[in-house]
Amino acid sequence: MAAARSRLRSAAGPAAPDPWPTIMREFEGRPADLVPVLQRTQEAFGYLSPDSVRRVARWLKLSESDVFGVATFYAQFRFSPPGRHRLRVCLGTACHVKGGVQMLETLERRLAVEAGQTTPDGEYDLERVVCLGCCALAPVVTVDDAIYGQMSVLRLQGLLDEHAHA
Amino acid sequence: MTLEPLTRLDAPALSLEIDHQAVSVPAGTTVLRAAELAGVYVPSLCSHKELSPFGGCRLCTVEIEGARGYPLACSTLVADGMEVTTDTVALREMRQEILRLILSEHPSSCLLCGESDDCRRSLSTIRKAGVSTGCRSCPNDGDCELQQVVERVGISEIGYPVAYRGLEAEHDDPFYDRDYNLCILCGRCVRMCHEVRGASVLSFKYRGPRTLIGPAFGTSHLMAGCEFCGACVSVCPTGTLADKVSKWDGVPDGLETSTCPFCSLGCRVELAHKDGALSSVRAGHDVELNDGQLCVRGRFCLPEATHHHSRARQPMLRKGAYFRVASWDETLDEVAARLSGVAPDDVLMLVSGDLANEGLYAAQRFARVGLDGAGVDSTARDRLPGGPVFWSRLFALPISLEALAAADTVIVAGLDTRFSFSVAGVQVRRALRRGGRLVVVDARESNLARLADRWLRARPGDEARELAGLLADVRAGGEGAAGAEAVGGAAVGGEAGGGTLAIVIGPRVFDCPGAGELLPELEALATRQGVSILPLAHGANVRGALELGALAGVLPGPRPATGGALDLARLRAGHLPKVLYLVGESPFATRPDCELVIAQDLYLPPFEVDAFLPAASFVEAEGTLTSIEGRVQELRRVEHLAAGAVHGRALPDWQIFSDLAGRLGRPDLQYGDDAAVRAAIRAEAPGFAAEGDRRRRAMTPLAAGTAPVSAAAAGGRPQDGGSSVEADDGPVGRGRFVLVSEHSLLRHRGIDLAAVVEGLGELHLEEGVALNPDDLARLGVEPGGVVTVGLGGSDLVRVARPDSDCPRGAAYLVRDEAWVGPSRPVRVSIRAGDRSRAARPARRAPVAAAGPRAGDQGGGHGNDR
Ligand code: SF4
Ligand code: SF4
Ligand code: SF4
Ligand code: FES
Ligand code: FES
Repeated sequence: MAAARSRLRSAAGPAAPDPWPTIMREFEGRPADLVPVLQRTQEAFGYLSPDSVRRVARWLKLSESDVFGVATFYAQFRFSPPGRHRLRVCLGTACHVKGGVQMLETLERRLAVEAGQTTPDGEYDLERVVCLGCCALAPVVTVDDAIYGQMSVLRLQGLLDEHAHA
Repeated sequence: MTLEPLTRLDAPALSLEIDHQAVSVPAGTTVLRAAELAGVYVPSLCSHKELSPFGGCRLCTVEIEGARGYPLACSTLVADGMEVTTDTVALREMRQEILRLILSEHPSSCLLCGESDDCRRSLSTIRKAGVSTGCRSCPNDGDCELQQVVERVGISEIGYPVAYRGLEAEHDDPFYDRDYNLCILCGRCVRMCHEVRGASVLSFKYRGPRTLIGPAFGTSHLMAGCEFCGACVSVCPTGTLADKVSKWDGVPDGLETSTCPFCSLGCRVELAHKDGALSSVRAGHDVELNDGQLCVRGRFCLPEATHHHSRARQPMLRKGAYFRVASWDETLDEVAARLSGVAPDDVLMLVSGDLANEGLYAAQRFARVGLDGAGVDSTARDRLPGGPVFWSRLFALPISLEALAAADTVIVAGLDTRFSFSVAGVQVRRALRRGGRLVVVDARESNLARLADRWLRARPGDEARELAGLLADVRAGGEGAAGAEAVGGAAVGGEAGGGTLAIVIGPRVFDCPGAGELLPELEALATRQGVSILPLAHGANVRGALELGALAGVLPGPRPATGGALDLARLRAGHLPKVLYLVGESPFATRPDCELVIAQDLYLPPFEVDAFLPAASFVEAEGTLTSIEGRVQELRRVEHLAAGAVHGRALPDWQIFSDLAGRLGRPDLQYGDDAAVRAAIRAEAPGFAAEGDRRRRAMTPLAAGTAPVSAAAAGGRPQDGGSSVEADDGPVGRGRFVLVSEHSLLRHRGIDLAAVVEGLGELHLEEGVALNPDDLARLGVEPGGVVTVGLGGSDLVRVARPDSDCPRGAAYLVRDEAWVGPSRPVRVSIRAGDRSRAARPARRAPVAAAGPRAGDQGGGHGNDR
């Protein structure tokens, strides 16, 4: 019979190399899985690319806009590839009082990006955080895993110069 | 699943009191709706009767005896004995406060400005600005829900710092503009796009003060899969979303309910007119039909299709080397004189299946009777593959859009509803929202395949056989058969507990091999309770063309006829008549070699003609159209512009035939008005609801033995038996493809709508050949490159359009007016093309008859682009 000949196509789309088959095996593909699926996707790729969003949408039978709308509601998701280095400026109470805002503004001006963005050359991610748990060192800036305390505008500029030439 | 916003008709009635007034409403009604029914005004902005409650604006707060706080009327259901108060000092103050907050983020200066009224009167045109900074420069001015609410709630100052978001207005997509600085985040557009359309193009993005409406990643609506149905525009309570074409027309003078002239679903439309001309189109609200929804063509394309500057509005005649404007008298005298001198066997009239019933009937009668048996035929024949008998039996099936929306199981074959038959797509989603199952039979990953519970991916061009097999399984109800599995094992129709089934068949399927096998399956299923079928064909009035005998071999009724000497198939086989009379048709790219070519249409055809008779458009004359369901619905005239050099002298099709008949000495073929034509139809085709009848109507099938006029014209049995797909035994792959050619969905009479409607042109829907991107990569075709399709000896060079919905190994193209290739899917070879040989874009603008002979353009009617 004609229908018996039909190839029932799975909704998953063509198999790709890389992490997708693994990710898709971990979930049932229900719309309710959206947030965990996005988390897993970001873990695998470092960010949510338009292509990832499209794949997730088709898989969970949602529209790309629905997926994007949910993803942008949560601060944890990012939509551009992460920079090579992660600059974090603390604006917790202690750091705020000790001039954290100036640190952030210095970095924003120097890198020409705003907090939450990545420099166009993909070198730095600039983020603001609320308390890193070392308030005694306020104001605090971190570069990747290194913590720099008692920063000033001058020291910060020096740190970046050094880092750029390293 | 979202809440179904409709209350059930059989719900028990509850009694409550609203502002001390006794009201009785069915259970499941919201307090807001109950208040509306009781004639009590409760301000609201985010709620909408077609959408689920949202509770976003908080304007609709009320007090309910015994309930804590201030519940929202829009999202509270009535309960028996409820006592609701809608207007207290506390509520009034709360609403004013909420509205102030909303307005602090809306360019609201005009709303609160003391000079507002003077401003409207004296500065009546400042509103034609690209960006709105207040009501007086807003396209919504005068017809705005937010304005009305502000007036009713009554506020005169804001008291909050006013914020203007400074977002860039979005003008890049076709058809409608967006200025999100005006957006109050009521979410109506998002819910409309998601709940009703199922397109889910729009969503709330980001959060807090940055919240914005739009598609993912800031892509254009076009890229995000927008159907350009305009439903979001229609529900927006502010001027954020606005039609491009009528943006600055202001408040319309009135609305007339009419019928969309672009496809055979026959959606109801409301024509907004201003100063005697069509301004914009809104969706009509017939629950059995389109219920407030339209597709891109109905919603946005009517005004430009009738108003485009290249519209030919004057009669024209060729005299020696000149093609010039002439008076109606001169033109008709000349045409009548030349017609009366020819033998009937030398005349062929081609009539478009887009004409109104009156035009179709008058055309065939003029040819058959007035010209003593001249040939009549229509390209509607191409759109009804399988021939008149086959389609008359399809039209005898239970065809119902309403039943589709309520079906438990929906089977859709070969149809993508993004741009064509979108309203059927909306009904499919409605069925899904009610818990129905969707089975899709399609080689392409259509927009419905993405929503399907089961997607039976047929081989390209094999949808008909696949569907026939599935229907056979469903009919047999075979335990464990694939068909039963596909419909979820549910028994269909008939027996107690059997669910309802709707079968939707896209136009492409009828061109596939094996389509003939569908009819017996459908007829067998149709005998069961609860089965409805929607066989779709392009062309606004193809059913009318069949019922009113505008096809060779068919007389009004329809009754079989022994036809004239000529028909479309013989024409294509090279039997050119001496006289060719084209009524809304232009099935050639160049002038056919006939002695006399007469064209009667809205626009000039793309080749030289000897006489041009300007026909009235769908808003310039009264008439009726026959929908696929058999409804005979009226077209209303909303344009009343003085005939003359400026607005032209177009006449209704029937009137042109009537005037010609008078000159040929046939007063029996003259009609005083459109009603007289309908009276003649009623006399000749009593089974046809000539006077207009909006009810569904099954057709009486033509007798099976109807003599074919010429074998090819009758179409014989539809595409069954030896199929073209198999006739060519080259394997698919390595440059071999299945070529599926489809009818254009953008034809209206003799024109390509994409050429006259700017937005449609921007969509590039029907250009080039669509192929899977992987195939293109393997062929080595660059983005924007061309491919050469080897088609029976002749090569077709077209732009390649990467389309990931296409299966690998298949190519899809839209037949243009001059298509001579096969209508069935065929195997072809495709290779990277030679750009220098690429045909000019297949889509063309209507132009004046080309060449120096078009020299004298007479009264500046401007047919050049
Ligand atoms: S949307 Fe309405 S309230 Fe807002 S500016 Fe336009 S007309 Fe005025
Ligand atoms: S036009 Fe239709 S499909 Fe497009 S965004 Fe609006 S509602 Fe959605
Ligand atoms: S665009 Fe219009 S409908 Fe959509 S959320 Fe904004 S105001 Fe509401
Ligand atoms: S406030 Fe900056 S580290 Fe605690
Ligand atoms: S209408 Fe009820 S909250 Fe908006």
